[in-house]
Amino acid sequence: MGLIVFSSATPLFPRIITDQTGRRVDVPENPKRIISLAPSITETLYALGLGDRIVGDTEYCDYPPEARLKPHVGALLNPSLEKIVALKPDLVLGIAEANRRETADQLDRLGVPLYGLTAHSVEETLNSIEDLGKVLGRGAQAHELVAGLRRRVDAVKQEVEHAPRPKVLFVVWYRPLITAGPHTFIADAIGIAGGISISDDLAGEWPRLSLEDALHRDPDIILFPKSESFSPSLDEFQQLAGWKDFRAVKDHRMYFVPDTINRPSPRLIDAMEEVARVLHSEQKSTARGPESSR
Amino acid sequence: MIVKPTRRNVLGLMAVLGASLVIVSAGALALGGVHLRLGEVWSGLLGADLHSEVSIIVRQIRLPRIILAALVGAALAVSGTVLQALLRNPLADPYVLGVSSGAALGAIIALWVGGRLAAASPLMAFGGALVTIAWVYLLGRRGGRLASYTLLLAGVITASFLSAIILFILTLLSTRDVRGIAFWLMGDLSVVTDVQLRILGPAVALAIGAIYFFAKDLNVLLLGEQEAAYLGVNVARVEASTFLLASFLTGMAVSVSGAIGYLGLLVPHLGRMIVGSDHRTLLPTAALGGAIVLVISDTLARTIVSPAELPVGAVTALAGAPVFIYLLRRAAG
Repeated sequence: MGLIVFSSATPLFPRIITDQTGRRVDVPENPKRIISLAPSITETLYALGLGDRIVGDTEYCDYPPEARLKPHVGALLNPSLEKIVALKPDLVLGIAEANRRETADQLDRLGVPLYGLTAHSVEETLNSIEDLGKVLGRGAQAHELVAGLRRRVDAVKQEVEHAPRPKVLFVVWYRPLITAGPHTFIADAIGIAGGISISDDLAGEWPRLSLEDALHRDPDIILFPKSESFSPSLDEFQQLAGWKDFRAVKDHRMYFVPDTINRPSPRLIDAMEEVARVLHSEQKSTARGPESSR
Repeated sequence: MIVKPTRRNVLGLMAVLGASLVIVSAGALALGGVHLRLGEVWSGLLGADLHSEVSIIVRQIRLPRIILAALVGAALAVSGTVLQALLRNPLADPYVLGVSSGAALGAIIALWVGGRLAAASPLMAFGGALVTIAWVYLLGRRGGRLASYTLLLAGVITASFLSAIILFILTLLSTRDVRGIAFWLMGDLSVVTDVQLRILGPAVALAIGAIYFFAKDLNVLLLGEQEAAYLGVNVARVEASTFLLASFLTGMAVSVSGAIGYLGLLVPHLGRMIVGSDHRTLLPTAALGGAIVLVISDTLARTIVSPAELPVGAVTALAGAPVFIYLLRRAAG
């Protein structure tokens, strides 16, 4: 018995590939000099063992720590075109959720290939990781990585399957209150982790929610992404006008979750597991809360 | 120092300002997020290798942007000069009069509707500028003539009304579009195509040339509309023509660069300090001065926080808003 392997010869000409945002991109066969325009992409590249091929990333690329040492090409929305060109990339990677369309248009004009990703859900995040692996010649590693992540997603799903589903308010920003809309990987991750996002019927990706509407929706739990730019402590909300009236605030059901929930990278799954743990322990403690003391 | 408007003086002044523009542009060409030596800039600009990084940076990134800044700067400054003459008010400026907001609204409606119209957003911006200026013009007319303060007030109110509509539409747009527009609303020269430059160049030059044709009439208009009419100026025709040309310039500028504020205010004021208020010298001074000021502003915008970039509108507002307050206080005192 024989297994016939058709080893396809590496074509010498560039490939025209349609990226996830529908743009046709001239992608080299084996990119050696990659620029990442988003922290999530930088993390994914390192997770695929391609960190040493990154020749530039953004000022916000802080994970893994060595990503900070790469030359930076600017911020997500206004990277410096000339910095990008000067780093002689053979491929630039961007993501529709974080970068500007104009950046892609300008790189097109300069003949620098930009491959665009998009991720509106956990599933799309996993797909984008696998897709990136294929494009960069790391299909097998990406497949393995994503299979592992998928097993963890399934484990979380199974764990929360029969648990009660608390209503969750996810706070992207609190003044004004901005939350995650339905078609975001954040809302999706909360749903998989066993919560019901109270903003699932709102339009837009990052809708503003009035405090009175949020109060009316009466979330069981309020989640905040823990990041350096989010300075207030959770205790401050006990005194904050409007906020102190939330049932969840009165009951101290506010939690920080890792801010990797903001990043459609492999670490999104870490954050999702943490959300599941928070919601789960919350349910347990609620179950043995006032009733058990009675 | 006031330069007398003799032909020799005007030509001399233009030569000095033109040379300044070239020097400033050369400086802007050498500065940027990537440090280039002067020899590299030179070879990038004139060298045969069009695909080297230096050549792409100098010829395809910096040079088109400098040309765009010069054209937009000239257009906005001349537009401001004309509006100030028409309204006999040094506070008039395309930004203050709501024309920039009208253009912004046009572009945003195009994005909102989406599809094929989204690609025509520069055209819609131009349309928005024209409709707004026509509207403000009609509001500001009293008995067939422009009433200066009514017009200024009409512009301010229209600008604030249009901004409210823009904010409303922004809440309906997808986050992805909003990100781009937010930059554009603050003035942004970072997005430029060859086609835009090819259209903008001749259009701006022709419109400024046409306005120069009315320079003497604008001088007479400064005396007041009745006085101008006594002196044989066809006031209605001059006002309508220059008003349309000024809004054309603003519409062109805003459609490619967004709402860059205060340039139309700052530059004519500086121009009057140098050459006085004779439009035969003031108009060309404003055109070249506007180009110089915006090239400098944009160079600052792309180098101060490098490798990130500031919106150029933030830089012009930092310099322009204090001038506006100064002029306001001087007019009040």
